Amino acid sequence: MAYLQVENISKSFFGVPVLHGVGFTLERGEILGLIGENGSGKSTSMNILGGVHQPDAGQMTIAGETYAPASSRDALERGISFIHQELNLFPNLSIEENLFIRGFPRPRPWLPVIDRKRIRRRTEQLLDMIELKVPPSTLVSRLSQGERQLVEIAKALSTDAKIIIFDEPTTSLTRREIDRLFNIIARLKAQGIGIIYISHILGDVERLADRVAVLRDGMLIGAGPIGEFSVDRMISMMVGRSISQLFPERSRARTSEVVLEVMGLTQPGMIRDVSFTISRGEVLGLSGLLGAGRSETARIIFGLAPYRSGSVKVLGKPLQANHPRAAMEAGIAFLTEDRRGEGLMMNAPIYDNLALPNLDTHARPQTGWIDRTTLALRAEELSRRVRLNAADIASVLARNLSGGNQQKVVLAKWLMRRPDVFILDEPTRGVDVGAKAEIYKIINTLVEDGCAVLMISSETEELIGMCDRILAMSNGEVRATFEREDFDQERILEAAMQNGRREVA
Amino acid sequence: MPIWVRAEGTKTIAVLFDGLTSEFLVAGMDAMQADLDSRGFKMLQAISNRDDNVQFEQVKSMIANKVDGIVIFHTDSNAVIPAIRAANEANVPMVHFNRPPAESDAYSVAVVADNRGITKTTVQYMVDKARASGRKYKAAILIGDLGDVNAIGRRDGFFDAVDPASDIIEVVARIPTEWNADKAFSGLTNALQANPDIDFLFASSDFMIPLIEQVLTPLDKWHPAGDPKHVMFGSFDGDSGAYAALESKHLDADGVQDLFFEAKASVDLILEMANGEKPAKIFPDPGFAITQDNLMTERDRMWGYSQWKKKNG
Amino acid sequence: MTNLTEKLPSAGAVPSVQRPLWQRLLLSEYLVVLLCIVYFVAMLPIVPQIASLQTFQNILSDMLQLIVVALGQTVILIIAGVDLSMTAIIAMASVVGASVMTGTGGPLVGSPLATPAGILAMLGVGAAIGWFNGLCVARLRMPPFMVTLATTMFFSGVAIWYVTLKSTTTSIANLPRSFVVIGQGKIYGIPHSLWVAIAVGVAIHLILTRTVFGRQLFAIGNNRVTSEVSGVPVARRVHMAFVISGLCAAIGSILYTGRLETGSPIIGANILLDIIGAAVIGGTSLAGGKGKVIWTVMGVLFLVLLDQSLKLMGLTLFMVFAIKGAVILAAAIADAARTRLSGR
Repeated sequence: MAYLQVENISKSFFGVPVLHGVGFTLERGEILGLIGENGSGKSTSMNILGGVHQPDAGQMTIAGETYAPASSRDALERGISFIHQELNLFPNLSIEENLFIRGFPRPRPWLPVIDRKRIRRRTEQLLDMIELKVPPSTLVSRLSQGERQLVEIAKALSTDAKIIIFDEPTTSLTRREIDRLFNIIARLKAQGIGIIYISHILGDVERLADRVAVLRDGMLIGAGPIGEFSVDRMISMMVGRSISQLFPERSRARTSEVVLEVMGLTQPGMIRDVSFTISRGEVLGLSGLLGAGRSETARIIFGLAPYRSGSVKVLGKPLQANHPRAAMEAGIAFLTEDRRGEGLMMNAPIYDNLALPNLDTHARPQTGWIDRTTLALRAEELSRRVRLNAADIASVLARNLSGGNQQKVVLAKWLMRRPDVFILDEPTRGVDVGAKAEIYKIINTLVEDGCAVLMISSETEELIGMCDRILAMSNGEVRATFEREDFDQERILEAAMQNGRREVA
Repeated sequence: MPIWVRAEGTKTIAVLFDGLTSEFLVAGMDAMQADLDSRGFKMLQAISNRDDNVQFEQVKSMIANKVDGIVIFHTDSNAVIPAIRAANEANVPMVHFNRPPAESDAYSVAVVADNRGITKTTVQYMVDKARASGRKYKAAILIGDLGDVNAIGRRDGFFDAVDPASDIIEVVARIPTEWNADKAFSGLTNALQANPDIDFLFASSDFMIPLIEQVLTPLDKWHPAGDPKHVMFGSFDGDSGAYAALESKHLDADGVQDLFFEAKASVDLILEMANGEKPAKIFPDPGFAITQDNLMTERDRMWGYSQWKKKNG
Repeated sequence: MTNLTEKLPSAGAVPSVQRPLWQRLLLSEYLVVLLCIVYFVAMLPIVPQIASLQTFQNILSDMLQLIVVALGQTVILIIAGVDLSMTAIIAMASVVGASVMTGTGGPLVGSPLATPAGILAMLGVGAAIGWFNGLCVARLRMPPFMVTLATTMFFSGVAIWYVTLKSTTTSIANLPRSFVVIGQGKIYGIPHSLWVAIAVGVAIHLILTRTVFGRQLFAIGNNRVTSEVSGVPVARRVHMAFVISGLCAAIGSILYTGRLETGSPIIGANILLDIIGAAVIGGTSLAGGKGKVIWTVMGVLFLVLLDQSLKLMGLTLFMVFAIKGAVILAAAIADAARTRLSGR
């Protein structure tokens, strides 16, 4: 019998079946990669494992004993620890306070005082285990994403976890942090801790996992040792057909008409002397590590951040003001990195989201009286164009959509403006394989229709697959330019890791 | 008393005060309750917490409750006029308790204490006692806010009694207080510095009694009647502090607004108005002077005594 | 449709047909109307005069002025703010307007211009204080709670002081008949204030649902940053919203002052709870991004109905406050529950 045995789990929500007879096993010291598209049932399975939901049918055992948690506290007590994509830390508290937030030890049980010394010692021990060399009293707000994640791992270890579940751990990490994470995972494995690793980055799964389980449509499609699964096979099992090519074909439609011209853009502390042009029908990629200044460049162009010197011109005309409205009027659209916080109104229906940047173009100029019919028609049209399969865009709220559909809504709302320049910052982050391909198709059509696209991405393969040219940035400066013929993943990464000057301006 | 207690056939009177925050108002409400109980009438009470708008709505509610009359103590004499109009329109008699409304074409009756007359009687008692003592007096009067018609009345009443006795009583200080305790305190202190032998004092309201004690005590002038250093002292209102001062003989006479009379008169007027009569808009409460001579016999008529009894068991 | 496309809604969002009855009721737009009817029927045996014409008229006239003011508050709630200064604006407008219309020795007494001048003065006061609130909130980025709290304390005091300048008593009376009739007058039993309330209601409804300005207000309440990124001039819109709120308070003041025939600095001192409570009971969320004119009207109806029934029962003012407070608290809890349920 395996250490963790999950058998025949089924679950429905309000009569809608979500899991059908899902099962898998996990041994101590084994890494199981769990993959599947959004909506495949991954989160629900893990929630059941973690005690958040109770299954309608099926059973689970740990070390041979029945495991039926009624709450996440039960799961913790049986040694199951869940590290979510959105970390559950309190940024305003210190590391040690976060670690012991569930229950502060006291010098004597009846004393209402916290045993600070004990906490300090234990935290130092744990931080040592995960090789995080910062003082335990450091505020979490001062840690990078990667370091915060390590703190979460420490938290899991502090509860004496036997099984740790990682959900999309690498999305906000730098390369170095990812390597460090994998090292830690290897050590956890050596200590005998079972690990369930959920990720969309199949290359990572291939690298880490001992075994793989693939879910689709709430069912277990296949499982087995990693050796039997190539990335291609994993993808085809996830989506149910084989994708020979992830990146769709595109006619290289680059013209010579320069649409966006950025000259010498400088903002002390952020970027220095950034210049480039993008022509009609061209996709320019910006690659670089976290903190290289790519998003900062995009935000400056769009008027969300100030700049000291330099210029931005669209179709030869300089921008009127350093404000999103000026950029929008010039024909620029911007899909931001943080769709939940900056791209969408999560509690509003899809329709309201689509309408938001398009209100004034569909209204009488003097009174602001909206032409509702035209606006509604356009919204429907764009929903269809991005293949948003919503039953009723006027009532479904943005927060009930999957990541891929949310991204499509953001795309659609900008597409309605028929922009000349479209800046995309991490357009497929947190989006599953199926929706990714659709987004690439949309981008291609956009470009073929004459848009100039600036694409920022941390996935070099994505840039190579989509762009005509790639700029590598690091430390706020452009280091190198690569033409299509010269695309080489290693060289691009190298250029992005160049350090050049220590300080920027 | 909530609505469900109402029985058939008895009259129901709504008593709408703007607060129960002062002894005076509490005594007023008690007086109303006692009077209505004695007639076997039911009372519906509502307090507006000094909000004219709320009181207006309360009036309309009482009209909808089909009460037989409304006794009202309002906050703003102008803002109560629409309420009077509403009562007029619904033919519900309205009587103002102790405080008259501003002039208007709306009809209601106000039971108002005759400040001038009561004060005259009160001070007359002191004058008579002064004459009996055979010596001359130096007098001071603490006047209320000159914007308040009651204060003017009391001042006039004081002089009505004191002027004819100018042979034995010389008024050396008229102290304006604007109904403010601090002003009264400093005004009286200054007057006593200028005229240390003031020995005849009238305060326009009982709330000043404690501060007067504070001023007079260090000057060795706070002594009960019978003591050669006693300062002849009169005041106005009829509250529990005045009763205590009368009992201890520091206060010689107090002009009392006869709240029991006012309560009975209010209800009588309502009954008259219900009969179709139209009494005059102001109905005076002659009040009375309570003095050391009639203290025992008259104290039950003094509203402050009933409150004093409550406090001191 | 290929297997690549996502199916919507994702597992977890629920088709409404399958929810239990109590959830459907809670989420329904008509919850408040239902509550009104249920409450009315429940009160009939206890206070039968609640069903009299007099009571209906009382309810109507009490509702209308509250609606005007509550609609202004609704606009501010939509942008996830709050306007605590409405009562002070009502007071300030009341005394300023009254003094303009009755200035003894001034040019306007008895003149036909008195009433229009007074009204303009009142609207001016509302717009000015609203403009000041907006300045602090939108441009200086101060929290609306603090700003409007400070404004209300300041202008409540100024109103009282202003009256001492203009009158020997604590209020200003002798307002022109033509002004008073707006708040008080009726034709065939229909009060004039009804038309005012309808005009304000229609205007705000159209602004909120049919103009760019209105839709942008909802967006700002939903997510200020997203609005900014989508090109909304957030500061300008927020500023304007406070001006609208101030104007609504001023229009309400015209009705309140007219009804009491008096310019008083303590007019409306106690209605702040009613204003915000009515909006929340009606369904406007304190968290912003949601709100409708008809909801607020229904909220006012329920609150006034409740208030009337309590007055008819002869309960003391403090009991009335306690019960109303409990009801508004329950409404706020229901608001939070609805947000959670509809999202899942």
